Amino acid sequence: MQPLVLTIAKRDIAQWVGALLESGKVIAPVRGPCGEAAFCRIESPEEPLWEFENPLAPPKQFLLPQTDPIVAIRRNGGVTTVAPIYDDAPRILLNVRPCDVRGIAFLTRMHEMEPADASYLRRRANFTLIALACHVPCRLGFCVCSDSGPFLSGGYDVQLTDLGERYLAETGSEKGEAAIGHASGLFRPASEEEVAQRQRLETVARGRFGDQTCHFASAMRRISTRRVDDALWEQMGDWCLECGGCNFICPTCYCFSVKDRGGDGRWTRCRMWDSCQYGAFTLEASGHNPRAQRGERMKRRFFHKVSAQYYVRDGATGCVGCGRCIKVCLGGTDMPAVVAAIRRRAWHEQ
Amino acid sequence: MNNDAFLPQIARIDAVRDETPDTKTFSLRFREPDEARAFRFLPGQFIELSVFGYGEAPFCLASSPTRSGMFETTIRRTGKLTDALHRLECGEEVGIRGPFGNGFDMEGARGKDLLFVAGGIGLPPLRSLIWNVLDERAGFRNVTILYSARTPADLVYKDELDEWARTSGVEFHMTVDRGAPGWSGNVGMVPVLFTKTALRPESTIAYVCGPPIMIKFVVQDLFMRGFREESVISTLERMMQCGIGKCNHCAIGHRYVCRDGPVFNFRQIRELVE
Repeated sequence: MQPLVLTIAKRDIAQWVGALLESGKVIAPVRGPCGEAAFCRIESPEEPLWEFENPLAPPKQFLLPQTDPIVAIRRNGGVTTVAPIYDDAPRILLNVRPCDVRGIAFLTRMHEMEPADASYLRRRANFTLIALACHVPCRLGFCVCSDSGPFLSGGYDVQLTDLGERYLAETGSEKGEAAIGHASGLFRPASEEEVAQRQRLETVARGRFGDQTCHFASAMRRISTRRVDDALWEQMGDWCLECGGCNFICPTCYCFSVKDRGGDGRWTRCRMWDSCQYGAFTLEASGHNPRAQRGERMKRRFFHKVSAQYYVRDGATGCVGCGRCIKVCLGGTDMPAVVAAIRRRAWHEQ
Repeated sequence: MNNDAFLPQIARIDAVRDETPDTKTFSLRFREPDEARAFRFLPGQFIELSVFGYGEAPFCLASSPTRSGMFETTIRRTGKLTDALHRLECGEEVGIRGPFGNGFDMEGARGKDLLFVAGGIGLPPLRSLIWNVLDERAGFRNVTILYSARTPADLVYKDELDEWARTSGVEFHMTVDRGAPGWSGNVGMVPVLFTKTALRPESTIAYVCGPPIMIKFVVQDLFMRGFREESVISTLERMMQCGIGKCNHCAIGHRYVCRDGPVFNFRQIRELVE
């Protein structure tokens, strides 16, 4: 399939969003009550933001909700029935940044591994991803270090690039073509100059990453061969407040617990986000806890994200370089800081 | 595509037997005859058992797959879910997912001497294997069972212990850490039993299961007596929630106890690094 390369005038965008709204639920970054950007289901075409700082909470909550019902349980007269719960609603994720598209690809790969997870995959199959390339890289992102941006070379249904007066729209799938097909009259083929402008924007954007880097390779070597001193993990663990924020705002984190909600013979079994940084994550009913110390748990988190063992399994590091952990972690044990500490074999002065 | 991975099957409690003041054995049978027939497992595998409204937790299969139609699991009351489970009566329903995990390597054990060393509530997973071995007795050489518990009241499967002691072709010894009135047997930690039996390290597979501290001392002792790491086998316990290698609670390095284990030999256990 040849990808389509089209453009749409900015003044026509709201009309296109209106057409998208008629084809399914649309989720896009909108202005929140305190002025921040947040992914939210929109009701009207004017709501989506087109220039914004990537929301602190990634869009993973719409694919992998914090509390995700998976089994309906009913008990009547001592007889129990169970039925799987699926969510097949068509959804369009509009103005998702490249790092988050890569995060969703990571989650999808993991859920496809045998045994495949139908509740996630069925929801994912009905998602259309309309990405908005980052021609101006964000302040804290380091996506160039994990091949997750600032522009995508694949994995999107549509990728938009801001050309000034118009947006360039590249399709990456039939779903993408369908999304444009809802208002095809608003689009026209891109000119050679417009395509060249997009390439220039990507080159310039890549060049704008200065000190925002994260050198995974040497950290990966040391983590994979267990050559990071336990004392260093312990020292970094001292700065962890066990809030779980790093997990919850990470586009690739998916660890979960299974709990029953409800009562009186009607329960919903839910998959719920959990955090490997919580002391109770590995606590057994007997009281035995194999990772009772924060340093051990931090070691686990970074082994899962950065080790070669997981890189081989997942085909990517468990980091898309979005920089959210830098914003959220009050202890400063974010990805670039930990990777840097592993490289220089020392945490910062206390 | 369906979601069988998280969908429990319904089983009914056929019988409940008190083992100790805080431990019961539940005999379970799938409500649907088709599911009962299709349920195949290996000793050492585990199930995720649901007490609806309380969630689910992993428990080892304690009965032998050679006795089909039903299966048993022996569970100590130690938290909310097991407390609720202990209140259930015959005929009540629970959910079952599984079996999960690798199980014991039965083929690798054929023709070998087998040494079972169990402590307290560590006997159930080995009981599955022991009955499987005894039901196919001709396939194995010497069978030695060493069992210990804190007190005589903490011994599980008391009737079966007597039966093993009487069975020809089985060498059975037990001990308690602390005696009690009426107890005339051995007193002392499980390694005291090693002096009562002829160990054959070259030809024996040793299965060790019990509390972490007991495993530690037994295994050290076995290595000192000439056992190789590959022929000492245990089952690891972790907080396994999904059973299918996804939730990450049981991960050790890039291995998952629920999928790569829970049965490991000690060479593999040494290579499991957090």
